[in-house]
Amino acid sequence: MLDSIKDKRLVFVTGKGGVGKSTCAAALGAALARRGKKTLVVETDAFSAMSELLGKSGKDGTRIKIADNLYAINLQSDECLVRSLTRFLPSERVVRSVTGNRVTEAFFKSAPSVNEFVLLDGILEFVEDNKQLYDHVIVDLPASGHAVTFLNVPDTLNQMMRGVGPFAKRAKVIAGWIHDSSRAAIVAVCLPEEMPVQETIELEDKLEEALGRGLELTMVNMVHPRPFPARFGTAFKEASESAGVNVDPTKEFSEESTATRRVLAGNVLAMSWYKRDRTYLDLLHSKLDAEIVELPMVYETEENDIVDRLANFINSDGQTTETLAS
Amino acid sequence: MANEDQIESILESARLIVCAGPGGVGKTTTSAALGLKGALHGRKVIVLTIDPAKRLANSLGLDELTNDPQQIDLSERIPDQDTDGELWAMMLDQQQTLDDLVARYAPDSGALARSKDNNIYKLLSSTLAGMQEYMALDKLHDLYTGGYYDLVVLDTPPTKNALDFLNTPSRARQFFDDRIMKWFIPSKNQKKGLFSKVFDAGGSVVNTLLGRIFGDSFVQDLVDFFETLSFLQEALRSRGDMIDFILRDPQTHFVVITSADQRRIKEALFFHDKLGQLDQEAAAFILNRVIPGFEADDLTSFDVEDLGDLGDVDVDKFESALSEHYEHLARLAKHNKDLVEKFGKEVGPERLRAIPLFGEDVHDITQLRRLGEYLG
Repeated sequence: MLDSIKDKRLVFVTGKGGVGKSTCAAALGAALARRGKKTLVVETDAFSAMSELLGKSGKDGTRIKIADNLYAINLQSDECLVRSLTRFLPSERVVRSVTGNRVTEAFFKSAPSVNEFVLLDGILEFVEDNKQLYDHVIVDLPASGHAVTFLNVPDTLNQMMRGVGPFAKRAKVIAGWIHDSSRAAIVAVCLPEEMPVQETIELEDKLEEALGRGLELTMVNMVHPRPFPARFGTAFKEASESAGVNVDPTKEFSEESTATRRVLAGNVLAMSWYKRDRTYLDLLHSKLDAEIVELPMVYETEENDIVDRLANFINSDGQTTETLAS
Repeated sequence: MANEDQIESILESARLIVCAGPGGVGKTTTSAALGLKGALHGRKVIVLTIDPAKRLANSLGLDELTNDPQQIDLSERIPDQDTDGELWAMMLDQQQTLDDLVARYAPDSGALARSKDNNIYKLLSSTLAGMQEYMALDKLHDLYTGGYYDLVVLDTPPTKNALDFLNTPSRARQFFDDRIMKWFIPSKNQKKGLFSKVFDAGGSVVNTLLGRIFGDSFVQDLVDFFETLSFLQEALRSRGDMIDFILRDPQTHFVVITSADQRRIKEALFFHDKLGQLDQEAAAFILNRVIPGFEADDLTSFDVEDLGDLGDVDVDKFESALSEHYEHLARLAKHNKDLVEKFGKEVGPERLRAIPLFGEDVHDITQLRRLGEYLG
């Protein structure tokens, strides 16, 4: 598993809110680090999810060590702005005169895309860091808005600046990384449901259109397992039909019922969840060329345990069967 | 104010229901179910949605939701239910909404043409953070004040943090903030704003530095952008104030939708807390996709012998196969049940509705009604 991203130094993880994007980014980081790859997970959100997901917290804007080979940081755009300017302007005094000036402050606040750009600039700095030499920098992209818009920021900005000035030049370098699928990977996280799957398929097209490249990897989160072996299929179908629990199995849990009916109904539901997931997974497989990793439903209450399980699952090539709680 | 039929009474009297909550919890579907319920109460309802699943739109009889309201024919779809109510739906097109706004407020055709030609404007709707939220509220303003609909159900855009949404009016105004604008907008007797003057003067420190970082043309485009669109400032301010007023209205109710997941429940509670800023609170909480009440105890009295003749299947193995998965599910169900109870204690159980995870996707009117039964 993860063959598609194993030689990619920059890995963007994208997905709509609620699909478990941060969980999957954390699991990717943990899995790669356990393979001995030096890995940094970068967040750009005001609220960090990594402290809960990876079980360690630190101050925003500072890098923390999570485990062997595994590091995390939550980047803040205001700090990134100062850092970017520091590289473009001759001295710190000049930088301060720019950031402390009301006219330029007004300008930064009102210029679209500058925030996103300085974040990407900060991220690329980690990739270019020749002291740390990370094998992988994994970026947990913001959930709001569209990934394509975010990844297109360097191009957009370059366009708005008509290619003039150091920001535009740097934007070109960053765009070069994002466009280059031999160095940077784009990973989509989705659930095996209609909307997220459709959006992932559309994302692939939009990426091709806007960036001339596609997805490397799709992680499908919370896939329901097959409840019982296929050889019991016929017997089960007959039993649930003759008991009449197949039509509205949910009802057995809100109205008077019996233990046997509930066990049957529970399996009917589990079977329909499993089948529904398969339908959307089949659709995904038929439409995407990217590697598809199916992550099983994990039942743990602590988020870092979920990440731990998923990382183990990935590194055992899906051989771990203990996906639910033990 | 909470009572047994909290949602029912809201549906009868509210003018606006805002469905808020973290992303991916079924907000759009729940909004549609609430809208349908409202229509069955005899009201003229419009559901303003941001990004509905195609199959949901199709099943409502709408091939494609557009930026214009479309009516869903209820008499054809629910012949057993006689209602004077109407159900309408529309999907937000943020570029169109922004263009409409600009077209409406541009003082003359020249200003409109210049706005649309501006290099920054062209890229604006996709680059400015919060634009979608703002445009949703702007559309809401029109629907609400338009007078035709009794009830607007607003499905809020997926934000990384539902809280962002509440700050949208002020953030949009901030974009054209006075302190920022005064650099761009010409004062009464002058043709140009301070920025222009700074640039026209040439050679100033600010000019040199900004030009050096961003390139002169970008700086000039941005100055033009603000000068050209300065007419929007007043419009956004007054509409922002009105939206604020609408959100604070006692006939506006917030329904917070979340799922049986600790982090999302925390987010929902945080949102509820922050509604205090608007002197509001969550009228109801809807927990979607709750695992039904599978009980581990069921397994002690589960007996495949009750099922009659099962053919040549190995009965013991069959029984243990069905039991094994049910046991996992029972553990999940217990976990969900505990969360629901804990959540119920915090917000009052009468304010909480748990919707079970169905076997099928909710895609058509029948299933929306079924979902609605759990809401009432």
